[in-house]
Amino acid sequence: MPGEMPTQDNWANAQADPIVPRQHQVSGIDTAAAAADARPKKDFAGIAVSEISLRHCLDAARAHERAGDHAAALRWVFTGLDAGDDLAGWTAAAQLARRCLAQVGPLPRSAKVAVLGSYTTSQLAALLPVAAARTGVAAEVYECGYGQYQQEILDPSSGLYRFAPDVVVLAVHASEARLPAVSDDPEADVAREVARWTSLWETIATRSGARVVQHTFAVPPEVPLGHLTTRVPGSRAAMLAAVNAELGRAAADQVALVDCDRLAAEVGKRRWFDARYWNRAKQAVALDCVSILARHTAAVIGAQLGVSRKCLVLDLDNTLWGGVLGEEGLAGIALGDGPIGEAFTAFQEYILELKSKGVILAVCSKNNEADVREVFENHVNMRIKLDDIAAFSASWDDKPAQLRAIAANLGIGMDSLVFVDDNPVEREVVRQLAPGVDVIEMPADPHAYVRALAGYPYFESVALTSEDAARTAQYRARADAARAAAAATSLDDFHRDLEMVAAVVPLDDLTQPRVVQLIGKTNQFNLTGRRRGDAEVAALAADPATTVLCLRLADRFTDHGLVGVVIAVQRGTVLDIDTWLMSCRVIGRTLEDETAAVLVGEARRRGCTLLRGRYLPTAKNGLVAELYPRLGFVPADGADDPLGDAAGGTEGAAQPAGSTWVLDVATAKAPPGLMRVVDADGRSVEWQGAMT
Amino acid sequence: MVADRLQQVFREIFGDETLTVSDTTSAADVPSWDSLVHINLVYAIENEFGIQIEDERLASFKNVGEMQAYIEERGKGG
Repeated sequence: MPGEMPTQDNWANAQADPIVPRQHQVSGIDTAAAAADARPKKDFAGIAVSEISLRHCLDAARAHERAGDHAAALRWVFTGLDAGDDLAGWTAAAQLARRCLAQVGPLPRSAKVAVLGSYTTSQLAALLPVAAARTGVAAEVYECGYGQYQQEILDPSSGLYRFAPDVVVLAVHASEARLPAVSDDPEADVAREVARWTSLWETIATRSGARVVQHTFAVPPEVPLGHLTTRVPGSRAAMLAAVNAELGRAAADQVALVDCDRLAAEVGKRRWFDARYWNRAKQAVALDCVSILARHTAAVIGAQLGVSRKCLVLDLDNTLWGGVLGEEGLAGIALGDGPIGEAFTAFQEYILELKSKGVILAVCSKNNEADVREVFENHVNMRIKLDDIAAFSASWDDKPAQLRAIAANLGIGMDSLVFVDDNPVEREVVRQLAPGVDVIEMPADPHAYVRALAGYPYFESVALTSEDAARTAQYRARADAARAAAAATSLDDFHRDLEMVAAVVPLDDLTQPRVVQLIGKTNQFNLTGRRRGDAEVAALAADPATTVLCLRLADRFTDHGLVGVVIAVQRGTVLDIDTWLMSCRVIGRTLEDETAAVLVGEARRRGCTLLRGRYLPTAKNGLVAELYPRLGFVPADGADDPLGDAAGGTEGAAQPAGSTWVLDVATAKAPPGLMRVVDADGRSVEWQGAMT
Repeated sequence: MVADRLQQVFREIFGDETLTVSDTTSAADVPSWDSLVHINLVYAIENEFGIQIEDERLASFKNVGEMQAYIEERGKGG
């Protein structure tokens, strides 16, 4: 039996007829050399140890960019994206692709994609355009403020709807799910959480018509109940899994899911979530996994927009069976018997599963057609039959020519084809001479073929069959009924539902470090951008003319801690707002409105008649440019400007341009009252009444 | 060697193949070095060298040179 199996040497060296596309060398660049550099290097056993790497591909891309061939540069970028996940490489690829895309023709599709997240999604938003371009979609990306997905969806005037998205990505993480650690009524808790999401989908669809891409929750592997979790439906892990499953059933038409729980399991949940980066920067997906998330999110968006790949084109020798048919003969090839033969049957079986979900199969082989047809017809272990193959090409023509014939034969574009070949030289020729065709980088070891093909994400489809769609519709009717009793549909309801409590606490030894930290690092919600250190803050606080307000915010899910700071200085009958900032994690909660009300109360207590605030633009605080007018402040006259640095002021050109705003305390309007405001002792702070 | 690999990581994260960092380079010298880029940079450096930098150490680096010295020290198996 062992004699029948080709030696390992055969795997590595079979078909090694070097077809080097010299005629396609770009002037100044040796593409063949670049390809050779990227070609697998063999270890002593003849097994590839180094596949095409992201960095190698980026080097090749940069060389093409320098030579002015942006289309070729882009192809190398895309090949690189398939080859690696590391953040640095993807970040570099994103920049390189942006430059190249500006120079080449339009992509097949374009879409405005909004990323709404429950964690820091800036990296995902930054990598999504290059990942989308890889699928053929030119994506313009909008990112909502940190953790503000609900506010953006529920507020009809939010930036989300102004952006007019085609696709909304709900990038959420497990701790965002509103589920208790252990539930007495898991069915109700799961139904309520599912309804919350389906209701958000509905609102998005109604208000913008956008498609939705929902990320599932990556269920954390840290389970206090241990293996008992599997027997307790009310455990949080079990409920998270149930929510994922229910969301999958509820999704219809406009909604697709990216199964983050599966992606996390695939790379390893210990790798997917890195507690250090969660605590450092609220990264709920480890930064080396964001590329994977971007890739799969883009693949699903591509499927929604109809640019998924349609046809899998298969080489035969050493791809569907082991060995070279022309040398070994029908009886000599490895298929079915022995470990290597089993690897090839397993590969064929996986391919048939792809076919059953709708992928078209084609054959592209350099062989005598009659010989290879005989294998399909007569080899007992052949799983794929001739009937399964929609286009059969076996000849001695070069593979790019064969691929063009296959595409023409099937009436589809080259950009619908995906090419699988064990031979790196053939793969390289196809990459270079059949642009548009996707080439899967196959491992040298046939045992790894299934995983390599399964790792290719661009055969995504949004539905299986019409029965599938009918079943989904049925399920959806049930989900609609559940939703009738569902959660918030307006932003006000949402805020009330949070049962928020804002506490106004004094500056003291306990709060000062956090206050100084916020002053040092808050960029977005920061009216003046003034930075002050420990000593300065302490000195200000000691001055009786100065009020320092520290605001804490809690809701029924989370205590956000100390998130707001206001420093105001009394100048006669005017209370001047020197510093006003808020942590980005609570933006959009109406805390700023309540803070203004507290300031009005403080002005009254001091006998002031006017509140005065300044907005000094910085690179990052555009968010609050309209805050004062929104709160009812009016522009101050130049004469009211105590610092002389308002726009049009006469002093110092070096001062930043800014604007000064005033609010008459007597006519200030009541705040929205969507949260309870209390003092340090927990007593309610009522509007109209001064701070006590 | 550490310097070359650091340079490569910086170039990738900043998307600027001409970026040159020296021992004295700090966040103040690179205009686009904001908090997002910083966290990406730290992650990429940890990944490149297979190390985990403690939060206290991270806050203590004043420039690229100090970080490089730290990485070299870790590389000695200390």
